[in-house]
Amino acid sequence: MATLSEPAAGTQLTPPAHRGIVRLTRDGFGDMTGRWRLVRYIVAADLKRMHADTALGQLWWLLDPILQMLVYYFLFAVIFQRKTPDFLLFLFAAILPWKWFTTTVNNAMNSIVVRQGLIRQVQFPKIVLPAAATVAETFSFAIGLIALAFLFVPYHERLSIWVLAIPLIAVVQLTFSLAVAIILAAANAFYRDVANVMGHLLRLLFYISPALYALWEVPNEGLRTIMLLNPFTVLLTAYRTVTWGTETVHHGTRPDFLALGIWMVISMVLVVVAVAIFKRVEPTFARIL
Amino acid sequence: MSEQPPARPVAVDIRGLGIHYDLRLTKRTTIKGSLVGLLRRNRNAPTHFWALRHLDLQMFHGEAIGLIGPNGAGKSTLLLALAGILQPSEGTIAIDGKVSTLLTLGAGFDQELTGRDNIALAGAFLAIDHVEMDRLTPSIIEFADIGPFIDAPVKTYSMGMKARLGFSIATAITPDILLLDEVLGTGDQVFRARSQARVRELITRARVVVLVTHDLSYVTEFCGRAILMEKGQIIHDGDPAETVDLYRRRVRESKLLAEGDAERFAKPAAPTPATP
Repeated sequence: MATLSEPAAGTQLTPPAHRGIVRLTRDGFGDMTGRWRLVRYIVAADLKRMHADTALGQLWWLLDPILQMLVYYFLFAVIFQRKTPDFLLFLFAAILPWKWFTTTVNNAMNSIVVRQGLIRQVQFPKIVLPAAATVAETFSFAIGLIALAFLFVPYHERLSIWVLAIPLIAVVQLTFSLAVAIILAAANAFYRDVANVMGHLLRLLFYISPALYALWEVPNEGLRTIMLLNPFTVLLTAYRTVTWGTETVHHGTRPDFLALGIWMVISMVLVVVAVAIFKRVEPTFARIL
Repeated sequence: MSEQPPARPVAVDIRGLGIHYDLRLTKRTTIKGSLVGLLRRNRNAPTHFWALRHLDLQMFHGEAIGLIGPNGAGKSTLLLALAGILQPSEGTIAIDGKVSTLLTLGAGFDQELTGRDNIALAGAFLAIDHVEMDRLTPSIIEFADIGPFIDAPVKTYSMGMKARLGFSIATAITPDILLLDEVLGTGDQVFRARSQARVRELITRARVVVLVTHDLSYVTEFCGRAILMEKGQIIHDGDPAETVDLYRRRVRESKLLAEGDAERFAKPAAPTPATP
């Protein structure tokens, strides 16, 4: 006879007890770490599925960011005749992490809804779904970095040791993305409008972030200060600084660690809040989906 | 363990169970709906619907219990509560053992993944140790009997194949408490016979099986106990033949009472043409 993994003898199912934010957060993190294998399996499934039906298959991991960059390059370098030196690298350093953020948000947002059949069949911690979506997109970002590495072949004079700071910046972004992913996954389960609204919000956020332009190109100084309230102003500028450089330094250089540190702290607080809110509404999912 | 009913240990102990749905949330899935609802709030409109209320029920080791009743009686809600998917709104459920569910078969499968990948994924969702899962996989594949399709994406499967794989996974892990919702009628005649043999085997291993079905012949054939539910309440609990009789009688009565409403209740036979 089979031995079961969990001798769950004496399970007691009761109405959800009231839990404080500390308890909710601890439970939420416990779900993610305790069911790490499940997160891994979902990530593997997501990665397998991503380009499953395409002829070029795995190649799309690289082609996707490159083609997106070429579209913007065509628009700005060919049509608007932009004079920024080494524009391709300038662009790609910001487009790649931005693409990571939008795909994370979109996939995480739908992660609860697409598995609603399963949620009504099996009891498992639902927080693993947005967490897994975030991890899966991180893989796809990591592969995109390979494309970025190739860009240093023509632009090798911009390469510096600071490029090694990319993972550090990525950790700040990952933390921020995880908070957004968890919150939106829960919100979209209640109201599908969230997905529609987010499509427009993300586009707005993209244009007010220095991705297609640089912060120093914004003419109004007051506006520049306000823009620093946007985490992607700090993040995209940091990515660009370590790979492309700045207005005056024409190679990768030191990013603004203070701004990154501040956003790291804010993101960590946001993750705690997001996990607590998610755990609070989690028992409702099976009733409303 | 003794086979005598009074000496059998309690496997599931339900006390004062109530489960309600919040109609404000379930009826509207858009923000607009909620806003409109706020503006035109009807003070008398009920905000909650009790799918189950004041339910007391005990299940013993070695029992196969049939749950019957009209649509909306709360049978599926009870199964979801036993599985831990729906948390009780009031009352408690004490369960001695591991629960496995087999609700709407195949709905939980990842369409793009192969059968084999789905077995691994299902194991992870069910929190089964991966070493244990590796050990079980060959027997799951063998029992599902879908041949080379096991390495094809599930989206290429027929309904019957999905059902077979789902049944095979749910029963392979030898749960202490197995919940089945309208699954015995799936698959072809051969698989049906094998799945029935498997359910019998699980029952003899002193496990609890709870079966929800509209096919009353399964209840009298399989179950040692049947429970008739209506509107979230237990109407009758006892001998299967007796309970099925009572159900049929009540269906006839309600037909006579409300000819117009009869269509809704007159579905004691399974929607799938099950030939006994």
